[in-house]
Amino acid sequence: MTARAGEYGFAAAFAALGAAVLAGAGSIPRPSAVSGIGPQVFPYIVGAVLLVSGLGVLAGISRGHAGAAEAGEDVDAEESVHWSVIIRLVLLIAAFGLLIGPTGWPVAATVLFVGAAWTLGAPRSWPSVLIGVVMAMAVQLVFGSALGLSLPPGPLLEWTGIG
Amino acid sequence: MDNLSLLLDGFAQALQPQYLIWAFIGVLVGTAVGVLPGIGPAMSIALLLPLTYTLDPTAALITFAGIYYGGMYGGSTTSILLNTPGESASVVTALEGHRMALAGRGAAALATTAIGSFVAGTIATIGLTFLAPTLSQWAVTLRPSDYFALMVIAFITVGALLGGSPIRGMAALGLGLFVGVIGTEGTSGQQRFTLGIPELGDGIDVVLVAVGLFAVGESLYVASRLRKGPISIVPVTGSFRTWMSREDFRRSWRPWLRGTVIGFPIGTIPAGGADVATFLSYGAERKLSKHKEEFGQGAIEGVAGPESANNAAAAGVLVPLLTLGLPTTATAAIMITALQSYGFRPGPQLMTSQSGLVWALIASLYIGNIMLLVLNLPLIGVWVKVLQVPRAYLYAGILLFAGFGAYATNFLVADVAILLLIGLIGFGMRLYGYPIAPLVIGAILGPMAEQQLRKSMLISQGDPTYLVTSPFAIAAYLSLIGILILGLWLRRRGGAPDEL
Repeated sequence: MTARAGEYGFAAAFAALGAAVLAGAGSIPRPSAVSGIGPQVFPYIVGAVLLVSGLGVLAGISRGHAGAAEAGEDVDAEESVHWSVIIRLVLLIAAFGLLIGPTGWPVAATVLFVGAAWTLGAPRSWPSVLIGVVMAMAVQLVFGSALGLSLPPGPLLEWTGIG
Repeated sequence: MDNLSLLLDGFAQALQPQYLIWAFIGVLVGTAVGVLPGIGPAMSIALLLPLTYTLDPTAALITFAGIYYGGMYGGSTTSILLNTPGESASVVTALEGHRMALAGRGAAALATTAIGSFVAGTIATIGLTFLAPTLSQWAVTLRPSDYFALMVIAFITVGALLGGSPIRGMAALGLGLFVGVIGTEGTSGQQRFTLGIPELGDGIDVVLVAVGLFAVGESLYVASRLRKGPISIVPVTGSFRTWMSREDFRRSWRPWLRGTVIGFPIGTIPAGGADVATFLSYGAERKLSKHKEEFGQGAIEGVAGPESANNAAAAGVLVPLLTLGLPTTATAAIMITALQSYGFRPGPQLMTSQSGLVWALIASLYIGNIMLLVLNLPLIGVWVKVLQVPRAYLYAGILLFAGFGAYATNFLVADVAILLLIGLIGFGMRLYGYPIAPLVIGAILGPMAEQQLRKSMLISQGDPTYLVTSPFAIAAYLSLIGILILGLWLRRRGGAPDEL
């Protein structure tokens, strides 16, 4: 995917969402008991803002006003986008979501942390796994045990009474 | 004076040991996240919103205010010392402060920043103390249409004045407003854009929006073009007691005060936040300086002024937040969410109905400022260490906390999926130059604006001219036009600070 195509696509998505909101707003039922303006009026405004600004961005890109990618302390603007890193991180977050039910927070969080750290270039060794376990357990103890949030400790820890 | 006794009550509250500890934790966390690239106060407060389930409101708000002020202090340390300064609110500090550091005067730059932030923060907090009660008394008389006008101003200024591209800002705002619309509508009970998915019936939680955009989106974007190689930091030498010479003080105190005077009013009006204030202050210092030739080479006035303006604006933002319930920055919007999660209605009634809470919060701002001054100068060695955290672990840690924040909101796996989706949108927005703040403000302020709009139309029995005919609304819309023209003009000059 070229940068240009992606930029057109992203702006078109805003415009398309706007069109969809405009189309969908009409089908929000307006209960007869409601006086004043109904629940569909504000969505019409929102849809119009999205559609107009999306089209505006598209027109701007075609006239050469490309978006300036955000700069940052850790961002190398010269570097091209590494899509493989994005895909791996997305899969890791998805795995976290799937794991947290069956395995509890400590395991799911460790998988997410260690996987992300390795993806970003941390040494693939036991110390980085240890850092992940410590981080996950620290959150479990501080927020789960000390502050009383019901983070699931998971089957591995249930017998300890932590949670 | 009555306000003074309320403030003293606030101090009596905020000086209790448990609140002092929360204030301390707040400023410590705030400075740390301010120092760390990739995390800011908006994201940290969003991540810590689950705290509101277990803490009492005063403790939570004191912590959040500490994070807010601390983040301002920490951010400037990064831009002075890191060899790869970011391009956000502290771009001006980076300009002069970083040059000072390279010339071996990093300690003086850090010191003038810390003391200037303290001076500006304290004076601006005094301004807040006296302005807020008066303003909230007046705000009670505003009509729904006046509130709607204020919100329109906030939407348009934040959308058009933040980030490099006004039209992309409006697109981001539209997306935020749409996110706010999703869910069951309050008045009529109608489902809107839930696509029949039960999890969307209650709408998309603001925590997911903020954490997804700031934490996941930012991490994905940084990860996609991560800077390789060692993190290079300009070394700081000397003891903190000898950091500023008499000459440095002589050159700094006027810019501190001028920065405060410029920053505080700009913070109170929705005019694009602290960025505009820092640019204005930088321009003023450059004009007034006797050392014009030093600007661009590391002039201490160019650090002292904008940094004070930055902090004064940060305090100024709390004025519309506490008196009108109107957030003008992403961080303020998330603090509104914290208030709502306790069932408080943000607005002019807050100062009277929750006066104990508000005054304890204001008192904690004074205390937090002192803590920050005391913490920052001696602990600079610690912050330099924090700055050196390996980036792989830093961003892995941000993702871990993002997962925590998303899951701890409702303990639903569906929320992690929504988080991921919003994170991908945030990634695309960064990649293609869309500002993030308008989306957050739209999502939080949108539902409130709709309520005010519907109230207005109910009162006027469907006559839309009611929206624009009250004296206040007329003044508001006229000043919106003025702010826009001024802001866009300043931005054109601010976009190239070398030509100021």
